[in-house]
Amino acid sequence: MNTSLKDRVTAWAFMAPALLVLGVFGLFPIGYAFFVSLHHWRVKRGPFVGFEHYHRALGDPLYIALFVLSLGLFCAVRYWVKGKSLWLRVTRIGLEVTTLFAAGAGLLGVIGSGDSRLFDAFKVTAFYAVCAIPAEVAISMILAYLLFKALSGKGFFRVLFFLPYVTPMIATAVAFRIIFSPHPSSLANQIGGVFGLGSQGWLFESRSVVSLVLQAFDITQYPAWIDAAFPSMALVSVVLYNIWVYVGYDTVILLAGFSAIPPHYYEAAAIDGATAAQSFRHITLPLISPALFFISLIAVIGTFKAFNHIYIMRTPGARDSVDVVSVAIFDQIYLFHNLAYAAALSLILFAVILGLTFVQNRVLGRKVFYGD
Amino acid sequence: MVTDTAEGAGTGRGSRADGPAAETEDARGSIADTAAQRAAKRRLAAFLTYGGLVVAAVAASFPFVWMLFTSFMTRGETLRYVVVPASVEWRNYVRAWSEANFALYFSNSLLIAAVQVGGTLLFSLMAAYPLARMQFRGRETIFLIILATLMVPETATMVPNFLTVAWLHSHSPIPWLNSWPALTVPFMASAFSIFLLRQFMRGLPGELWDAARLDGAGHVRFLFQIALPLCRAPLLTVGMFTFIGSWNALGWPLLVTSTQTWRPISVALLRFVEEAGAETQLQMAGAVIATLPVLLLYALIQKEFTAGISVSGMKG
Repeated sequence: MNTSLKDRVTAWAFMAPALLVLGVFGLFPIGYAFFVSLHHWRVKRGPFVGFEHYHRALGDPLYIALFVLSLGLFCAVRYWVKGKSLWLRVTRIGLEVTTLFAAGAGLLGVIGSGDSRLFDAFKVTAFYAVCAIPAEVAISMILAYLLFKALSGKGFFRVLFFLPYVTPMIATAVAFRIIFSPHPSSLANQIGGVFGLGSQGWLFESRSVVSLVLQAFDITQYPAWIDAAFPSMALVSVVLYNIWVYVGYDTVILLAGFSAIPPHYYEAAAIDGATAAQSFRHITLPLISPALFFISLIAVIGTFKAFNHIYIMRTPGARDSVDVVSVAIFDQIYLFHNLAYAAALSLILFAVILGLTFVQNRVLGRKVFYGD
Repeated sequence: MVTDTAEGAGTGRGSRADGPAAETEDARGSIADTAAQRAAKRRLAAFLTYGGLVVAAVAASFPFVWMLFTSFMTRGETLRYVVVPASVEWRNYVRAWSEANFALYFSNSLLIAAVQVGGTLLFSLMAAYPLARMQFRGRETIFLIILATLMVPETATMVPNFLTVAWLHSHSPIPWLNSWPALTVPFMASAFSIFLLRQFMRGLPGELWDAARLDGAGHVRFLFQIALPLCRAPLLTVGMFTFIGSWNALGWPLLVTSTQTWRPISVALLRFVEEAGAETQLQMAGAVIATLPVLLLYALIQKEFTAGISVSGMKG
């Protein structure tokens, strides 16, 4: 490029402050975190311990190897074994099932031999994502559609729906901590009373929702795993809060998606005699899919990053049933001062987020219609 | 429900055009029945649409109303089945403000946010300009590297950044821990802001630059005198996001502040809630105080902000 030296210097000088900050506090930390995780490190740097912290977190290296290798094989099979002959297809499916099965076994081994607190946190995170995201997306889809169809008052409703999202979560989480308190006069209990729910422990309840339902039917003898296999009442309360906060944001994004659909598509469909359901299925859904994909991607990453509101809404009564991974990592730093272990855990979390983003891109991303 | 409204509101959209058409149908008489049916259906659809929206609006706003009501209650009222307080207890705010020291935390948070917003806007604008409008080798690479930092979650940078800040604290002339640099400097450049501003600046007409050049303006003057005023909307969006992010920060301030001097309002609220036997009405007064600056800003720049979000799809 025929740029003068002066221009080049100007360009780099303009970018220098931002690059310095991003480099020192955004990129360098990844390498530094890895360096820290290989040592004993509480307040000061201790001796080099290699992969000990990863060993503590993830358990037996054999299982890790099994998991990683079979996943790699699975991907290899998917990309390289191609062909239409029956024999090839059977082999392919067989290989895929075997490698997936082996990966699952490896993962189970890792979970069994690794740090149970870490995997409990991952379990809570998964519950959180599975409960919150579908509900969030479904509600915002309906609201965006209603807003799109509304003739007047659009701006008013949009501002109102958006309020929970812009209001600082540190303040609203404090309010919801009191709304979801176990006191019989708490707002959640008063509203629940209208629906005959009875007095609940909400954020202070570590038992799972399923065992509470069983209890309501006077079944007091239930196996202990029921409490472990379903989200706790406390987590469900956090999920309700999460839905309240993010539905407005998702609605605004989806509304923009709806509004971008050219109206003459619908007119053409109507002339061809399409019913409302048909034009929703064949026009709206494909054209809205990029926005849907975007908000679900953001929501999945969001649950893994979720920290502030959960940190505020966790109570002694909920035990660790709402502690998602980022909260568990923060405890390692702030409570246990184990910087090295926290660094190792945060890199594991980073890897999981990258992996999930990748999988979501491949699986969901393919169904997204970006137009022609 | 959705399909019902879809059809009804779909016809409703062109209701003005439908009006005369319906009249002619009435005049013909034979199909007046279907027209009446259609009108009824349209009314039902509108009813369902607005019914759904109103229910959602109540659900979205009721917690705020509850917060406000509770912040005006007496201690006794918070423990009973009361929703609307009998009288407005302004004293709660006075007590939260002075006794619980919210005056200090509030001004701390405002100062932190001001420094962070100012720094982010300046640095991001300066970085976005060459990326958008200048030619130099390595431009695309640098842009990709900047975008790559978006992938790194905050949890992963927390430990190393704490160590870096602690090192800077003992090696620089000004203190970093328990002071504003640790709370603001690490967040003064965000890839989001740079990205958004760059995208916007690329859309500015090239003739502007040619004209400025003819008039003898250099890059610095062009950026600050011509491009800056044009970037008002994206700057407001970026500023609002930075403000919310700074105001909400909780984990990092917990790590780097151990004294009250620079403790932000988020940490103060957390401590306030965790305290045993803290009074609900005071907590709510504190929470209401903590929402005010953000809501005020939102009210001021609501239009630009919502538009900016719909376009960029950012999440703070």
